[in-house]
Amino acid sequence: MSSVVPIRTDLTSAAAAVEPAIRVDGISLTYGAQGRVTNALENIDLTIAPGRFVVLVGPSGCGKSSLLMMMAGLRRPTAGTITCGGRAMTAPQPDVAGVVFQEASLYPWLTTQDNVEFPLALRGTPKAERRERARDKIALVGLAGFEDRYPHELSGGMKQRVSIARGLVQDPPILMLDEPFAALDEQTRMSMGNELLRIWEQTGKTVVFVTHSLSEATYLADEIIVMSARPGRIIDRITVDLPRPRTYAMMATPRFAELRERIWDQIKHPVGE
Amino acid sequence: MTVAVSSLAEARRFAIPPDRLRRLIGVALLVLWEVLPRAGLVPALFLPPLSQTLVALATNWAEYGQHLALSLYAIAVAMVAACGLGIGAGLLAGAIAPVRRVAQPLASALYAVPLVILYPLFTAWFGIGPQSKIVFASIYGVLPCFLGTAAGVQTIDRQFLVVARAAGATRWQMMTRVLLPAAIPTVLSSFRVGGALVIVGIVVAEMLTSAEGIGYLISRYRTLVDSPHVFAGILVVLAMVFAFDFLVRALERRTQHWRRSTRSADAP
Repeated sequence: MSSVVPIRTDLTSAAAAVEPAIRVDGISLTYGAQGRVTNALENIDLTIAPGRFVVLVGPSGCGKSSLLMMMAGLRRPTAGTITCGGRAMTAPQPDVAGVVFQEASLYPWLTTQDNVEFPLALRGTPKAERRERARDKIALVGLAGFEDRYPHELSGGMKQRVSIARGLVQDPPILMLDEPFAALDEQTRMSMGNELLRIWEQTGKTVVFVTHSLSEATYLADEIIVMSARPGRIIDRITVDLPRPRTYAMMATPRFAELRERIWDQIKHPVGE
Repeated sequence: MTVAVSSLAEARRFAIPPDRLRRLIGVALLVLWEVLPRAGLVPALFLPPLSQTLVALATNWAEYGQHLALSLYAIAVAMVAACGLGIGAGLLAGAIAPVRRVAQPLASALYAVPLVILYPLFTAWFGIGPQSKIVFASIYGVLPCFLGTAAGVQTIDRQFLVVARAAGATRWQMMTRVLLPAAIPTVLSSFRVGGALVIVGIVVAEMLTSAEGIGYLISRYRTLVDSPHVFAGILVVLAMVFAFDFLVRALERRTQHWRRSTRSADAP
């Protein structure tokens, strides 16, 4: 099972009837000029069923963030196509996929409320509706009462909450997160993981989450997509069968260790193995 | 090592805080201004005592006020022209690489030229009325506004633009809703430099060839060898520059936290 064989990662017959939330078809990414071409990603096929919490994990430089950016329509692949909710992701589709970045990158001149409203303001949504919808999402991420604060008045964890609210404000069916908690301290990171699981369970979104932390991946995911070092390929797809809701205690169970070990075994090899 | 460190800390404890030190230096200079000429250490022709200067200013305040108003008018017009044009062009150059590659080296080169050598030309073209000094001061101030803004836009966190793109922003929305507000702190800094140069430009132009304005007044009293009145004019110019600097700094303080990155992991 853990052998490094390129495998077709489409879902099996059980879920085949359901239209996938995300379909990645033959994605490759190369960059650089002639002579010095880097193959960042090679022939990636992937389908993700609606409502799943899927984590992309792999060694740094494997292209997992690039893959996510392409899924979000923020970057063009060299070859292949990506569709989310049936729409081609050749450009960002904020009503299909909300994106949360590693750094919260909130606009420092806007309050929490205005940062969350920002995507709606771009589309010209009427003011009253904007207020209402942003307020909803701010409450959802547990920041009610902080609407009028500026980013510099918030902690790192709170900023990421605002960022998640901003990603959700257009009610996209998909939420994509690129190492969202990497800059946070361990404690905040753990509690933000639980918060994200709560939000996911409450909203039923499809979540694609990129991380380099094996524990974080195992703790959060329904499914873990394991990627190899450059050129990035999908080398394993693991269904995490730990029961939900997840608890900290599960991290000490043999099953958790086993799953974590299985990822580690595949990515520990140096490049070129 | 530890000794050195502790003695440094010791020294710091007894040191005067910098802002109080600055004020002390200011007061000391004013006292010297009064004392040195009175003690005969500096001839009163070169430096009339502060009190005499103030008396000269008070007795002729109507004249100073009238010329100050004329200067302020010229400064206001030149500032709007210079900073409007400089900041607008700076935003464009900062956002659009091909424009920047052409315009930035040109502006830098021009900035190094002592433009005052061109002033005689300006008076030939525009006469000695307010037009020539307004045009001259505008050109004087537009360059730092342009260069500062263009450089400032360059330093804007690229992630701000990625976020906007992910949220579906058009090019125009990126300019007006992200680049422009993100650039405001640097725009204010360049406005502080450019605006000060506009004031300098107007006063210098008035001193060279003009029939009105505070610079003209200084230059006229100098030909009359009336030192107290010359220095009174200088005081007015200083007050003007300090007031401008103070106002812009106050604005800058209000946007201070925009400079600090929002991307640090944890706020205090």
